[in-house]
Amino acid sequence: MGHRVDHEYDYLFKIVLIGDSGVGKSNILSMFTRNEFCLESKSTIGVEFATRTLQVDGKTVKAQIWDTAGQERYRAITSAYYRGAVGALLVYDITKRQTFDNVQRWLRELRDHADSNIVIMMAGNKSDLKHLRAVQEEDGHALAEKEGLSFLETSALEGTNIEKAFQTILTEIYHIISKKALAAQEAAATSTVPGQGTTINVADASGNTSKGCCST
Amino acid sequence: MGELRRIASQGIPDGAGIRSTVWKLLLGYLAPDRSLWSSELAKKRSQYKHFKEELLMNPSEIARRLEKTTGLNNDDGKSESRCVLSRSDITHGEHPLSLGKSSVWNQFFQDSEIIEQIDRDVKRTHPDLHFFSGDSSFAKSNQEALRNILTIFAKLNPGIRYVQGMNEILAPLFYIFKNDPDEEMAACAEADTFFCFVELLSGFRDHFCQQLDNSVVGIRSTITRLSQLLKEHDEELWRHLEITTKVNPQFYAFRWITLLLTQEFNFADSLHIWDTLLSDPEGPQETLLRVCCAMLILIRRRLLAGDFTSILKLLQNYPPTNISHMLYVANKLHGQASH
Repeated sequence: MGHRVDHEYDYLFKIVLIGDSGVGKSNILSMFTRNEFCLESKSTIGVEFATRTLQVDGKTVKAQIWDTAGQERYRAITSAYYRGAVGALLVYDITKRQTFDNVQRWLRELRDHADSNIVIMMAGNKSDLKHLRAVQEEDGHALAEKEGLSFLETSALEGTNIEKAFQTILTEIYHIISKKALAAQEAAATSTVPGQGTTINVADASGNTSKGCCST
Repeated sequence: MGELRRIASQGIPDGAGIRSTVWKLLLGYLAPDRSLWSSELAKKRSQYKHFKEELLMNPSEIARRLEKTTGLNNDDGKSESRCVLSRSDITHGEHPLSLGKSSVWNQFFQDSEIIEQIDRDVKRTHPDLHFFSGDSSFAKSNQEALRNILTIFAKLNPGIRYVQGMNEILAPLFYIFKNDPDEEMAACAEADTFFCFVELLSGFRDHFCQQLDNSVVGIRSTITRLSQLLKEHDEELWRHLEITTKVNPQFYAFRWITLLLTQEFNFADSLHIWDTLLSDPEGPQETLLRVCCAMLILIRRRLLAGDFTSILKLLQNYPPTNISHMLYVANKLHGQASH
């Protein structure tokens, strides 16, 4: 937690947490970054921010995660928070149908404000509340497939799939970025005057991309 | 009144219901002339009772009432069997499945989204305090009061309705009024809180209004004023935050300002800060901005040593601090000539 300036990471990825009010965004954040769950947590006003450093394909990645208020009024303000985001975790509550129906609105929100290449994972949270389930897991899968998103059901309370959800997003982002870097390097290699000698570690980069394939 | 403001701004003692009375005076809910209090209070409380009856009723009840009033014009035979509505008696606009804008049911369904949001947030108000949270009937009735006030406010102010965070501004007022040792005052805390809440919010209700975000009265412009204030008083810190590390003041000051600092300190400390904010004769805003500026200046050394991440973490979890000293520093910024 110290206030020292640290640069001990290979990549810094900004991820935004979005979804309706009360779906459990803040608890997903605190579970992932501090291993804490709070049954009665305050509503988030404006934005909250946390980081965690972890390993992705052997690289040290610092995930900078932004948690935003769910209510519509705050979206105009929060549009600034999408700037620079490379990933989004779009959360709904499996016990509240409305929060699932609103996923489309959030996707539109991302399309309007975020980078078009942003990696999106949809999470059906509160999977521990099975007896209150209002959205079937298959419905989640079907929507994810239709919209081209990754999908997991999660439980911040039990810690189920929280780690996996972030790992999946970060891995996917890392793969896209290393592929892009590779393409850029290849382009640079063909267009620059031979002998200028930008040494490119092609072998290393291609080694990473060939591992490819994100988990589910 | 000026003398009261001066003394209150230093902090009001916690006991004996003093704060309850002083806040009502500072917010203009109680007149400076004490002889007017009882009649004024009676009038306001009866007005609130009226709001409650009018606005917290469900549509079936409204339909029954409409039926009652229109029933007068109908022939006597019908009005006898009032509780069973014959089909022709329901005007088209008031049918539950009607899509007409004027339908009370349409209004009801629109409201229910807001009411759910209010309910969710009321349950999340100060989860660490027994007064607001838990299963005791005491906490439940306090939550009920917050819910009523916010719902009535939302209905009376269709342009703003309910915005998340209003519960946080309401909570300190209700807590103080409900804990007034004067039993009559405590019993009427809900009504009194409602009017004081309206009064307090009138100074910066525009912060809650999305349409005004980019106007001179909106939240963005207020945050910009904080930034200018910091630049005026500590340009080095301002430069480090906004130019070097690119910490957009929106990322921390948005919550500081919209919630009047209620989430940055412990509850007792926030009450102390509010004594000062409410004492400002020009409304709480100017004092609030000076306090925010003082908060930054007081931890300037740590901020100047930090990068984007550590600065933001520090500002979103403001370290425990000596509140009296902080308010003293804020007060010193007052009137200090800009260079």
